[in-house]
Amino acid sequence: MSNLIKYNEAFISSFQITEDQLANLTYQSVQGWDSVGHMALIAALEESFDIMMDTDDIVDFSSYEKGKAILKKYNVTI
Amino acid sequence: MLTFNSTNFRIWSKLGQRGSFFGIAVFEVVEQFHNVMILTADLAYLSGLERFINKHPDKFLNIGIAEQNMLGISSGLAQEGKIVFATTYASFICMRSCEQLRHYLGYMKSNVKIVGTGAGLAMTFSGNTHYAIEDLAIVRAIPNITILSPADATEAVKVALAAAEFNGPVYIRLTGGLNNPIVYKEDYNFEIGKAITITTEGDITIFATGTMVHNSLEAAKILKEKGMQARVVNIHTIKPIDTDSIDYANECSKLLVSIEEHSTIGGLGGTIAEFLSSQPNHTPLLRLGIADQFRHAGDYNYLLEQNRLLPEQIAQDIEKKYVTLNNREPGTLC
Repeated sequence: MSNLIKYNEAFISSFQITEDQLANLTYQSVQGWDSVGHMALIAALEESFDIMMDTDDIVDFSSYEKGKAILKKYNVTI
Repeated sequence: MLTFNSTNFRIWSKLGQRGSFFGIAVFEVVEQFHNVMILTADLAYLSGLERFINKHPDKFLNIGIAEQNMLGISSGLAQEGKIVFATTYASFICMRSCEQLRHYLGYMKSNVKIVGTGAGLAMTFSGNTHYAIEDLAIVRAIPNITILSPADATEAVKVALAAAEFNGPVYIRLTGGLNNPIVYKEDYNFEIGKAITITTEGDITIFATGTMVHNSLEAAKILKEKGMQARVVNIHTIKPIDTDSIDYANECSKLLVSIEEHSTIGGLGGTIAEFLSSQPNHTPLLRLGIADQFRHAGDYNYLLEQNRLLPEQIAQDIEKKYVTLNNREPGTLC
């Protein structure tokens, strides 16, 4: 499974959304991406990519696109 | 229906005890008990209640910065048959509204569950005004209030469900912040009043509560490397405390240790000391916790370090006490 598929799947399963909603997705732009959903997303990403994210990065993870840049710090290229 | 599995334990750990309680567990509580109400004193979003408010606006009341009033309203709702969860920071709910707590919960036995968040040192840079380091001592002295103190975020979920089912006033003490360390990696049985022995071998028994359960397990690993074995017992119910568990440890251990993110006066260590004082020839008890003084504010690890509550420090203090003890013969319960 490619990193992009794993990345997308984390959003889709955490927020109960469809793939076509991903492109401009930002924090709180869908009902599922609230504070609880955010931590579910982070846990899903950590499990998928076998990483442990710093608190600052968890806070900064504010959009689908921003997340890609943050994951690069952990040697995960989407 | 909530699923207790490792994936969820990881998510709940991320959310911390407060987030898993109000962001996860309360939905299960409402599903099982339709007459639930949640009240807060101006901490709706900070308590992780955003999702609950959106889904159940009719079961939620924000009373504003008025903790005493919140307990009055909570008690009234409870007298009308509601199961009420009332929440704000532990320091505020136990001290600002102490008289209401005593009268409405202790004396009237209203079926209200007060949930103190950010207990212990978790409020970090908010400083001493926001630290709850005497809350156990205060609430424990009031009759009729059960006190629960979960070890991790998963146990916070179990505590929410158990408290809702329990008929009577409860104080739930939530410690730690986000990324609450995971103590339980598999599902287990939780019962109010029954301590859980997590590691069973050793002639040292560590009684721990809240976040200190995890640090005690880490300290036990350090002690093991040095040739000492410690049992770690999770005292998730401070009142009524599991005296059978203390009796067993008293008989079978050379050293008893209590560890809590609370003052060494009047909390878990105080409870155990009071019980032991009525036993003949009891085992020495080392009480570790927050020193009887106010210190400077700081980040969480700094505060734990200042109070010698990091695993390495706990292990050092236990080792120091252990080596000074004479050999003690085990009792008949072993």
